[in-house]
Amino acid sequence: MAIKSRRLREIPLAMAMLGPSLLVLITFVLYPLGKAVWLGQQMCDVQGKNCKSVGWGQYTNVIKSDQFQHALWVTVKFAMITVPIGLALGVGLAVLADKQLRGMRFFRTIFSSTIATSVAVASLMWLFLLQPSVGVLANLGWLHNIFPVIKEPGLLNDSGTALWSVGISSIWANLGFTFILVTAGLQSVPKEMHESAYVDGAGGWMRFTNVTLPLISPTLLFTTVVLTSRAFQAYGEMDLLTNGGPIPQDSTTSVTYLIYGSSSIIKNNAGLQAAVAVLLFVILLALSALQFRGFGKRVHYGS
Amino acid sequence: MKTPNKSRLLLAGLTASALLFASCGGGGSSSIIDPGTTKAPASGDSSAPTEPPTTVATPLASLPACDTTALDSVTDTIDITFWHGMNGDLEKALIALTDEYNASQTKVKVSLENQGGYEQTLDKYLQSSQDSRPDMVQAPEYAVQVMSDTDSNVPVGACLESAAYDTSDFLPKALNQYFTEGVQWSMPFNVSDPVLYYNKKVFEAAGLDPNKPPTNMAELRTMSQAIVDSGAAAFGLSLDTGADSGGGWFLEQWFAKLGELYSDNDNGRLAPSTKVNFDGQTGIDLLTELQALVNDGLAYNVGDNASGQDALLKLADAEKPAAMTISTSAALGTVLTTVQGGLIPGITTDDIGVGPMPAPGDADAPGAIVGGASLWIVNHDDPAKAAAVWDFISFLITAESQSTWAAATGYVPVRSSALEVGAIAEKYKTDPRFKVAYDQLSQVADTPASLGAILGPQREIRTLSARAIATVLQGGDVAAALTDAATQANALLSAYIAANQ
Amino acid sequence: MALDTAPKGWRSFARYSMLTIVALFILFPVYTTVIAALKPGNKVLDNPLLPNAFTLDVLKNAWTGGRLGRYLMNTTIVAFIVTSVQLVTSIASAYAFSFLKFPLKRLVFGIFLSTMLVPLEVTLVVNRRTIDSLGWLNSFQGLTVPFIATAFGTFLLRQVFMQIPPDLREAAQMDGLGHWGFMKEVAIPLVRPTLGALGLFSFLASWNQYLWPSLITTEDDMNTVQTGLRHLASSDLDKPNLIMAGTIIAAVPILIVLVVFQKQLVRGLTAGAVKG
Repeated sequence: MAIKSRRLREIPLAMAMLGPSLLVLITFVLYPLGKAVWLGQQMCDVQGKNCKSVGWGQYTNVIKSDQFQHALWVTVKFAMITVPIGLALGVGLAVLADKQLRGMRFFRTIFSSTIATSVAVASLMWLFLLQPSVGVLANLGWLHNIFPVIKEPGLLNDSGTALWSVGISSIWANLGFTFILVTAGLQSVPKEMHESAYVDGAGGWMRFTNVTLPLISPTLLFTTVVLTSRAFQAYGEMDLLTNGGPIPQDSTTSVTYLIYGSSSIIKNNAGLQAAVAVLLFVILLALSALQFRGFGKRVHYGS
Repeated sequence: MKTPNKSRLLLAGLTASALLFASCGGGGSSSIIDPGTTKAPASGDSSAPTEPPTTVATPLASLPACDTTALDSVTDTIDITFWHGMNGDLEKALIALTDEYNASQTKVKVSLENQGGYEQTLDKYLQSSQDSRPDMVQAPEYAVQVMSDTDSNVPVGACLESAAYDTSDFLPKALNQYFTEGVQWSMPFNVSDPVLYYNKKVFEAAGLDPNKPPTNMAELRTMSQAIVDSGAAAFGLSLDTGADSGGGWFLEQWFAKLGELYSDNDNGRLAPSTKVNFDGQTGIDLLTELQALVNDGLAYNVGDNASGQDALLKLADAEKPAAMTISTSAALGTVLTTVQGGLIPGITTDDIGVGPMPAPGDADAPGAIVGGASLWIVNHDDPAKAAAVWDFISFLITAESQSTWAAATGYVPVRSSALEVGAIAEKYKTDPRFKVAYDQLSQVADTPASLGAILGPQREIRTLSARAIATVLQGGDVAAALTDAATQANALLSAYIAANQ
Repeated sequence: MALDTAPKGWRSFARYSMLTIVALFILFPVYTTVIAALKPGNKVLDNPLLPNAFTLDVLKNAWTGGRLGRYLMNTTIVAFIVTSVQLVTSIASAYAFSFLKFPLKRLVFGIFLSTMLVPLEVTLVVNRRTIDSLGWLNSFQGLTVPFIATAFGTFLLRQVFMQIPPDLREAAQMDGLGHWGFMKEVAIPLVRPTLGALGLFSFLASWNQYLWPSLITTEDDMNTVQTGLRHLASSDLDKPNLIMAGTIIAAVPILIVLVVFQKQLVRGLTAGAVKG
């Protein structure tokens, strides 16, 4: 009885505390989601108005279309490049630097630093490196004698290297985030865990795989989910580095670039843009669920 | 255990569906712009007309009015906002002009708002509600159909009438670029067309006359051969496949030069186009020619020109420069400033030559389509505001203003009287390079073909043709690439008509 | 593995070498950027690896011509507003989910969580229209309000709140502390490191935002440093040193924040939050 009345008694307080957040989240996240789903079966004019229904078949049409499938494939490839490498690098560095040795603090600062770069800053720095005429790498004579692709046609203009180049700039930019997160995860592992394994005579690598990794698995899962989500929504890098090109292979046209990019053919078609965005959401949802289910069972939770 | 089986099932399910829809597209190719869904929905669906389309003239009376005298009765200063997409040196010149205007009178004060580029300006305009739109906006030449379809503007023609403005000394091409459906929608302001930039020093070293650039592609080929053979440069021509340049805009230019229609319904000027023509013999010949140049090592493809300046930068390449490139005349001012700043070692500004855009094949086909952008008056149901915008526009198109503007930028003055006054008169005398772009626009009579196409999804179609050209320059089959691009372009056109008309 | 039985000196050498190699990879783009930013125009291309010329003019130009000073101020204001309000709303909602009892709690929490999965692309255009109809284009409200609530922050703080032992709550109740008192005296102090981390992340995310500000800003005065940077890049590609100078100006403030608060950031995340 007391519990019941407490539940009702605390409603006003709960509303006050949750209200603002809920209002903002509903207005700026859930409502647009709903609207986008609805828009996905509409055809609108260039101003996004005068929308008429063309049926839910528009979604199927998008799924079956070459452009969407290609963009999805590019996005998946991009994720497959950036997430494993970024994660491995972040974990490796965090483990190596997680010691109270001389100079480690300096290294840790460097490895964390890229979290301070925005997409624009990081992409521009890498554009300056990779541009085939006025870029740094292109103006080092000895370098592009070994790797002619740097200048002809340029790492960002060659369909084989473009996605990798964008990927490397993205890995670079996200390294700070990964490093900080994994370091935090490592530092939350009680030292006794490491030490007991050491005493048991386990070697460094074995210790790493059998003790350290499982202990930081929640962090790894979280980091993977975030990195994957970022990779799937990659846009700024492509916008600044390659414009989704090189054409005609569209090697760096990610799904988001397909929606908003400057060379997008669905630019003035609000219905198609919404459909692609919603499909991206569904895929991300499925992917996150898969990651939690699939790797979640391997995740150790605390003590 | 239950969980592993569940997750395995989930994994299998996802893989299966991924494979399923991957194989779905395996058959024929399917475009995201599906003609199937672009049929206009049930209400008022029309079948293809059997009679030839007649001019769709929109009576001026049905459009928002412009009363240029509305400014006279106003006592306070009217603030007007102007969205534009000019960057770098172009922006500086625009700021100078605007400051001059603001200082010269007290009735109107103009605030410039740079949106970052043509596309961003257009995108933001389209996405904004009418109240959030500025009083005046600069829209690029490919946006005529789109802008007029927004029904959000006061046509400049209404102001011209109200003020009984004399446009007789205007470049007909410039005005006609923005004249469709019987209405003068906007006022040309910054007019450009493509010209040939070339390195005179390389010409000399190759034994060519530095004052005689090639006038068509056949001559260009011969000269490129001489240049490459002599080792004066690594390539004759630097090509790009950007939608706003070598991949899209130039294609329309070449069609216009040959007097060929780029799309049906008189290039979209009689009625909205339903199909493009670039997959015909003209297009095939054009692209075959370009492909041959690249295959024979005479031209270099810099790619899709994400920066807008890649083709020009190839001339400055330290190791394998090109000798010539086609680029917009609007870049001339920047090119000269950059060269002066020393970007290309050993080259002074005198070494840069400018010639007309080469015609296709061995044709003698001068002329060009007007590029650049125009000024649109936005309708806020406020006669005083509209009159204020008109006042600013009329300042920007005076002979003096156009003269100053053209001299500082490389844009072409929109009226011939500007050639006799101010800075451009000097410039054309002392530096005839700036006049090449102007001459190109006054050499050919105005016909629908020579004026170029007006399309709803014009920029998107340019990206499609750019894709075709890129395929071709990398060795692909010309006819197939063009047909593929044309099919998608036609689908875009149908979709546009269904959604907007 | 041989590495473990190898002498300590070799292991140490291997460790330091690997760290140094990666550190060089991290620093290389920064190095070339800084060098370019300090070189006059005509020297930029001839030796990109060596600082063979020096001038501060480029930085000055980027600051004044690029109006980066104004943009930096805008960005700072926006980041501060978003961060502080996010902290407040996150604490409030996390507290509600942790310590209050009310009907439909799980449903509401589910709604919160689901918003974390909605990508930006889906919401951008519709949000722009919403902001437009509110008349909030080119305003600080438009730049901040859509982000003042975060499910991520709520989730993070809830994790930490849930670790507070219930006897602590009971003891506080017996001392006569209501919810407000408990929050102030007990809950918040206990999660201070996490608040620090969350605040830092929010600040960083807000500072680095690119897509949204470019979408809703049409007046140059309201540009943030990221959109201003993009403008610089598109207008002056023939002056790469100018763009690089702009990049540095845009990144330095946040870099300073990071270096100063690095330890707090890690400590905050370590406080059990990321365990999930």
